[in-house]
Amino acid sequence: MSADSEETPSGFTRHGSNDYVANFSPSESEVLLNLVEQIIELLGERTDNHSDDPLAAMVGITSYDSPPDDEVLLRLLPNAYADQVDASEFRRYTESTLRAKKSAHAMSMRIDLQSSPDGCIEVDHEGANAWLGAMNDIRLALGVRLKVQENSHEDLEILAPNDPLRGVYAVYSWLGWLQESLIQSLLDDAL
Amino acid sequence: MVKIDEATQGIVEEEIDEAIKDIFNSDKPWVTIVWDDPVNLMTYVTYVLMELFGFTREKAHELMMQVHTQGKAVVSTGSREEMEHDVARLHQYGLWATLARGDKAL
Repeated sequence: MSADSEETPSGFTRHGSNDYVANFSPSESEVLLNLVEQIIELLGERTDNHSDDPLAAMVGITSYDSPPDDEVLLRLLPNAYADQVDASEFRRYTESTLRAKKSAHAMSMRIDLQSSPDGCIEVDHEGANAWLGAMNDIRLALGVRLKVQENSHEDLEILAPNDPLRGVYAVYSWLGWLQESLIQSLLDDAL
Repeated sequence: MVKIDEATQGIVEEEIDEAIKDIFNSDKPWVTIVWDDPVNLMTYVTYVLMELFGFTREKAHELMMQVHTQGKAVVSTGSREEMEHDVARLHQYGLWATLARGDKAL
């Protein structure tokens, strides 16, 4: 088998004027699908309860005015103000929209993966932005689990082989590389 | 030397007063701040700033570097409503952003 066989990772590359293509192995597709579904599920856990106020449901006011307790959700749905009163007020009026946008990014990525059993993904500019947003949300979530705020990359590189976080860090790094390949393809366009 | 008559001086002073008032009473005293984050890739921050604000690659890169080296950067200024809109869009793409009154922000 030659070095430039299908096994060689390529990430995303530009294809034509406005398309971006990546070829994933079955196991890579499975990992991506699994991760993006976890994000969709996590965002779905924080559902609005509008049974008491149909008007609030209609205009998208959320029943939440306090930040999520879950660390990962808090990173995905952060406060917009340092001031807690302002932050709560802003959250009440905007959090459901933010959740919907993030879910839309993740669902777009999920549909692309599900509709490409051969692992060949082709997205346009808008699709690429959805992938970037979704991959970033996955990395933010994994980053919380890996405590990247406290741990340096050097700390994470030398995790013991039996450390469960070792696999998480491998996926986190791979996703960063994949995201970078898509960004570089997009930035080449912008020149 | 040109002698400024009293009427002209009055107009000039009025103009300066207006300019000062504009700075302090303008409807654009709010800022959007992007904070440093160990997860977001440097190129990703640059790309998102270009996409959302229409910055050139150079301008976006400069702001990203400011976030990276100084911990934060002001990426837009305007009315409170405009900054809330900007922060919401940045959050959609996972950047860590807040808004604040300009005089209390940095």
